[in-house]
Amino acid sequence: MSAQTGTRRLAINRLRDRVPLDAAAVDRFVSRYGSPIVEGERATFLWRGEADEVWVRHRVVGLPDPLAMKRVAGTDLFAVTTVLPEGSRVEYQIEVRRGEAYERCNDPLNPRLAHSPLGSSSVCAAVGYHVPDWVALDPEARPGQLLDEVVRSRALRRDQPVQVYLPARFNRAIRYPLLIVHDGGDYLGYAAMKTVLDNLIHRLDVAPLVVAFVPPRDRLREYPNHAPHARFIARELVPWLSERLPLLETPEGRCLMGSSFGGVASLSTALRYPGMFGSLLLESASLVFTDIGFEHGGGPYFDPVVKFVNRYRAKPTRPVDRIAMTCGVYEPLITPNRSMVPVFRAAGMTVHYTEARDGHNWENWRDRLGDLLPWLFPGPQKFVYE
Amino acid sequence: MTTILLGPQRFTVTVTAAVRSLDVDGPIAMVNAGWLEREEDDAELAGLLDGRGRNLRLYHRLVDVMTKDTAFAKGALAFREQQEELRGFYGLRLQAAVDTVRAVRQRSSPHGLKSAALTSAVQAVRDVDRWYASQLKELYREMGRHVSVWESPVIGWHRGEIEATLDGCVAIVIAGGHVGVLLQAFRLFSLELPEELPVVAWSAGAMALTERVVLFHDFTHQEVTAPEFHDHGLGRLPGIIALPHARRRLHLDDPQRLALLARRFPRKQLVLLDEGTVLLFPTADSPAPPGARVIAHDGTIETVDDDGGEAG
Repeated sequence: MSAQTGTRRLAINRLRDRVPLDAAAVDRFVSRYGSPIVEGERATFLWRGEADEVWVRHRVVGLPDPLAMKRVAGTDLFAVTTVLPEGSRVEYQIEVRRGEAYERCNDPLNPRLAHSPLGSSSVCAAVGYHVPDWVALDPEARPGQLLDEVVRSRALRRDQPVQVYLPARFNRAIRYPLLIVHDGGDYLGYAAMKTVLDNLIHRLDVAPLVVAFVPPRDRLREYPNHAPHARFIARELVPWLSERLPLLETPEGRCLMGSSFGGVASLSTALRYPGMFGSLLLESASLVFTDIGFEHGGGPYFDPVVKFVNRYRAKPTRPVDRIAMTCGVYEPLITPNRSMVPVFRAAGMTVHYTEARDGHNWENWRDRLGDLLPWLFPGPQKFVYE
Repeated sequence: MTTILLGPQRFTVTVTAAVRSLDVDGPIAMVNAGWLEREEDDAELAGLLDGRGRNLRLYHRLVDVMTKDTAFAKGALAFREQQEELRGFYGLRLQAAVDTVRAVRQRSSPHGLKSAALTSAVQAVRDVDRWYASQLKELYREMGRHVSVWESPVIGWHRGEIEATLDGCVAIVIAGGHVGVLLQAFRLFSLELPEELPVVAWSAGAMALTERVVLFHDFTHQEVTAPEFHDHGLGRLPGIIALPHARRRLHLDDPQRLALLARRFPRKQLVLLDEGTVLLFPTADSPAPPGARVIAHDGTIETVDDDGGEAG
């Protein structure tokens, strides 16, 4: 929870000065503030119980991880205060050691959770961070439709499920732009992307568009520059959709999107089929590279990524006209992403690049859609004067 | 020829008083095609007109034409796609030209060459506007060669109904909404507003009455943030460019940005139509009346004084 800011001492320090500091006082403190306590640009994390050591575990580049909590003398309350700049949003967990036993869990004093394919995490939101209001279901926004389809793929040698979003008021007489989303199921499940699309289209920020949500089967193999995956997207999925739906038939009308490895898949697919797609939407793309040698520190899964990105950086080309890209400043990928912006621009592409005080997670990628999608697919906002 | 332009009506309703000030008895034609499929939800609007409203249902008619006259619909959709493509190129060129003006303005000029460079950069923006206007005109001409609104029996039938409704009306009220659709409807039914009928309009409705409809939203996330000339309106107020919701949609504290907008349309008065605005134009060539807030050529916001001058 947020507490009063200003020149007052931190709440946890005021607690430390209490005499007597008994269990009842700690009870009252914990129930009043919960965890974390956000005071200006400081966040104090709390954990209560018997333990030998307690840490805050997070993946914020620049802060120590693990972040050791200290026992408030004479109590069973552990606490640590860290800097948290305005607008930040951090996902974290608590790790506890009792003897040889380590346990990791979400913060029991914090009800705010974020979810991902890897499980849930607690969320610490700094002063100035707000969940965008276009994330929640808006009863006034007409819902689009999600259709479950299966595309038989020779390239992937399987039946590939695809969820196809048709915007509200879908009209076969009109041609729509197409957005293909890697990790499609996760974008729907963890980034509320259907609700986001419904709302942004309803608000006139985004033009009505068709969206193909494509889930991977083995993303670590299929996403880093994998020829069969690219062939599936460009030579099978796009024609399959074009045969069935009224789509714009120009590159400007087609966009590839993905986060993390999905960003690599988007770029590598566009590079394999230049002129097929007009734009990319890359969120925290895993564009890891080395300038000398091959020690990239990302482990074997990153080997094909680094090979691919190094090759691209050696001879950059222009597979699309426009790239909307974003990265969280607290994730390790911030440096590769920042480094790629001038490379893309020098290759002749228009790049809209934004950063957020957030990490490598689905809520960050969700929150950025309100800026990136209107840039790529401008809605009729400029036409409407109520 | 009386025309009254109002500010947005959502929170500050002035349409009732404006219509009563016309001192006319009888039905009032309502146009709210800009509301699209909400056009039929017009009870509140009719109530504001003392129950005298007669909806011309232009959006409903437009959809009916597109459904029933397939040849026309095909031509209209082809035109729409061409216009979209044209807008794409216009946006690219316009934004680059506008960015250039800013870059020229920001550059130092120890030898005093900036003024000439700036004049030329602004002229380049105006050239892009002019190019778009001429290409659009060409598109309309081309479309007219393939589809004619005068040969469609469906359109003719609707036109007859609209004329009959208008015949019995003593005034016209045009609400806001989607200005593109509003213009499309006016054009489709070749709607000409009789000079003798007073018109009260706001927001997109006000824009549609002018000769040049300019789209703007300085705070958009879109790539093209520069105001765009969109199309010709009905031309009832040819000397005005209407800018509804100006406080919300324009950087009014950025005189350089506003000055460029003013210089792009030098023979027009750029009139801000914010909440509570009520502006009476007795004739087509009347300038904005006293009290109107306009963008001066230096980009400042000025209020028209009683002598018709801009008071600053």
